[in-house]
Amino acid sequence: MAGEKAVKYNEQVIEEVVAQVIKEVMKQRGVEQTTQGKKEDYSDAKVATKGTDPKEVVIGVGPAFQTQIHRTINGLDLGQVLDEVKAGIEEEGMHPRVVKILKTSDVCFMGLEAAKLSGSGIGIGIQSKGTTVIHQKDLYPLSNLELFPQAPLMSLETYRKVGKNSAKYVKGERVTPITVENDPMTRPKYQVKAALMHIKETECLDEKIPYIEWNA
Amino acid sequence: MKRSKRFETLAERPVNKDGFIEEWPERGFVAMHSPYDPKPSIKIQNGKVMELDGVPREKFDFIDQFIADYVIRPDRAEKSMAMDSLEIARKIVDINVPRKEILKICSGITPAKLAEIICHMNVVELMMAMQKMRARKMPGNQAHVTNLKDDPVQLAADAAECALRGFSEEETTMGVARYAPFSAMALLIGSQVGRRGVLTQCSAEEATELELGIRGLTTYAETLSVYGTEQVFVDGDDTPYSKSFLNAAYASRGLKVRFTSGAGSEVLMGQAEKKSMLYLECRCLFVTKGAGAQGTQNGSVSCIGIAASVPAGLREVLGENVAATLLGLECCSSNDQSFSHSPMRRTARTMLQFFPGTDYIFSGYAGEDNYDNLFAGSNFDANDFDDYNIMQRDMQVDGGLRPVREEEVIEVRRKAAKAVQVVFKRLGLSEVTDEQVEAVVYAHGSKDTLNRDVAGDLVAAEDMMKRGITGIDVVRALAEGGFEDVADSVLNMLKQRVVGDYLQTSAILDENFNVLSGVNTPNDYMGPGTGYRVEGKRWDEIKAVDNLIRPEDF
Repeated sequence: MAGEKAVKYNEQVIEEVVAQVIKEVMKQRGVEQTTQGKKEDYSDAKVATKGTDPKEVVIGVGPAFQTQIHRTINGLDLGQVLDEVKAGIEEEGMHPRVVKILKTSDVCFMGLEAAKLSGSGIGIGIQSKGTTVIHQKDLYPLSNLELFPQAPLMSLETYRKVGKNSAKYVKGERVTPITVENDPMTRPKYQVKAALMHIKETECLDEKIPYIEWNA
Repeated sequence: MKRSKRFETLAERPVNKDGFIEEWPERGFVAMHSPYDPKPSIKIQNGKVMELDGVPREKFDFIDQFIADYVIRPDRAEKSMAMDSLEIARKIVDINVPRKEILKICSGITPAKLAEIICHMNVVELMMAMQKMRARKMPGNQAHVTNLKDDPVQLAADAAECALRGFSEEETTMGVARYAPFSAMALLIGSQVGRRGVLTQCSAEEATELELGIRGLTTYAETLSVYGTEQVFVDGDDTPYSKSFLNAAYASRGLKVRFTSGAGSEVLMGQAEKKSMLYLECRCLFVTKGAGAQGTQNGSVSCIGIAASVPAGLREVLGENVAATLLGLECCSSNDQSFSHSPMRRTARTMLQFFPGTDYIFSGYAGEDNYDNLFAGSNFDANDFDDYNIMQRDMQVDGGLRPVREEEVIEVRRKAAKAVQVVFKRLGLSEVTDEQVEAVVYAHGSKDTLNRDVAGDLVAAEDMMKRGITGIDVVRALAEGGFEDVADSVLNMLKQRVVGDYLQTSAILDENFNVLSGVNTPNDYMGPGTGYRVEGKRWDEIKAVDNLIRPEDF
């Protein structure tokens, strides 16, 4: 199935992004507490609160989302990613709300935090590199409704479907999960890049503020 | 610059699509030794470890404390730690020093000492060490059995085929996590159709996996992950103590367990604390032992892309496999994840475990085409079956597999698919049509099978859990549905849980449900003429490949 739907990413963009990430991370080599001072200051930001709208789906994005990282591992613009997920939710008549998770960079825990903040109990976690999960507030952290572990295979169409399916869970419909995709060569191609992006994301964690409203 | 045609050609080689990175200890991108690794040390007072690898007790993190309190033998520590690491390494490759003596020495060493010992050995010496230190006398192998559609009928057929091909264990996982109850059940049934006594597991979220095990729908568990730094444990809401409780929960129900860890996981989580992959893995192995697990699945496992990207990365992978055996743990030695575009490189990586033999050379080998492998691809897949059989024959090495005939494969695939069809019907689950069965029997992968009603399956799987269906219900459904022999096998697998002998280190079951473990069939290798030898019936089996040239045809 993986081969059938060609993921439209531009090889050049990927290289550009990765080069940028490597350059930035490398620049900080040897320096203790590398991102100190570079980290965003969220002390004035609005701490996210639990929603009451039963039609709400909360999207929890990673700490580096749209600040230190602007594109997913395969070059998708994070603003567009967010637009697609929101559009998918709205198409089904539900209401998206975006928060930035600052207490964890683990996608499952991010998704669970989003679900707990969501008025409906359904949430989505999206790491800055693109890895995504649909979660529900009463599930175990490492369980999920749907998981998309291979970020390089994600397309804008898939992100729209993620939005749509999450909204369908809110409505209590009998949901057919998005068709699973798999590329056995993802690891050799992307694992080092994934590590570098995740290191960057993890460096942006904030011990003091667990999550904030995010309207970028 | 005008391009050299030689260099242009080389740039197109598969190996140049792989990712490599220079050593970067500050972020943990270093295989065997980081300048920030601690020096081995120990201080014992009143039978208590007061200092471990340069850290005094009051500064222990919870990993240090766990290791100090539950793993290192205080009565042996001072003597073992006083021995030079080089001397211990030499004893390990010395055929005149028995395995037992090495285990005794290593029961008194620290994680940093273990890493230092491994660092003294090159890959050939590490292979010699593995040949001697592996717990079970004969090597084994494990398969992955998965498909993109989470189709339980295909799972059962592939499980049957893999069992027939010689795998001792089979592991499945899901694309859609909620399929877990169906996947576990299909694997249990299919495996017993292919070869009685094959152990099965379903890799899922920990609580789900435990529930499936308690119900008798799996016969072992493997995905209890441990890590080499405290922060990674904390991020996962875990500690060495919580893992010990989980291990005890399995043991209390008579289920075999091994833990999982490996090089690169801390790097990937951004929490390597500047330490080498080998040192962090040594800490994991000590935690594994202290938690009471009989064994480990290690060798970088799913983080192999990280380990393989740094210098000496694949030497480190074998090194950590050997480290496990030095602590007396069963070693299920990875080789289970794709890491390279280069067929040469991926073969070379596997030979390090294939030649000496490990308890399970792969953890596991993709029993399906890699496009269907939901562990994101294994290092070898179903397309490599014949190559693997020929390599066993070429080298006279037991890699755990055997050549099979097409007609017998079709037969067990059909029987397994039909058995699942009957069980689904009798348990009132979703429908399995005759057309689905027929497509699966002859399929290479899920591209050749019919689609199932996924939403319907998920409702039925949830219902199956709500109704409390257990392994005994499966036995009854099989027996009443006309599959008495399969019912008998599944029942025998459940009986193992009561007997408990297969909880011993490195245990597998033969086709008569006899346990073969490191306890009743220990590795007694002490040089040429000793230990496990490929001979007799097993050698005849390996020799009997299908595509022989017949002199009488000419």
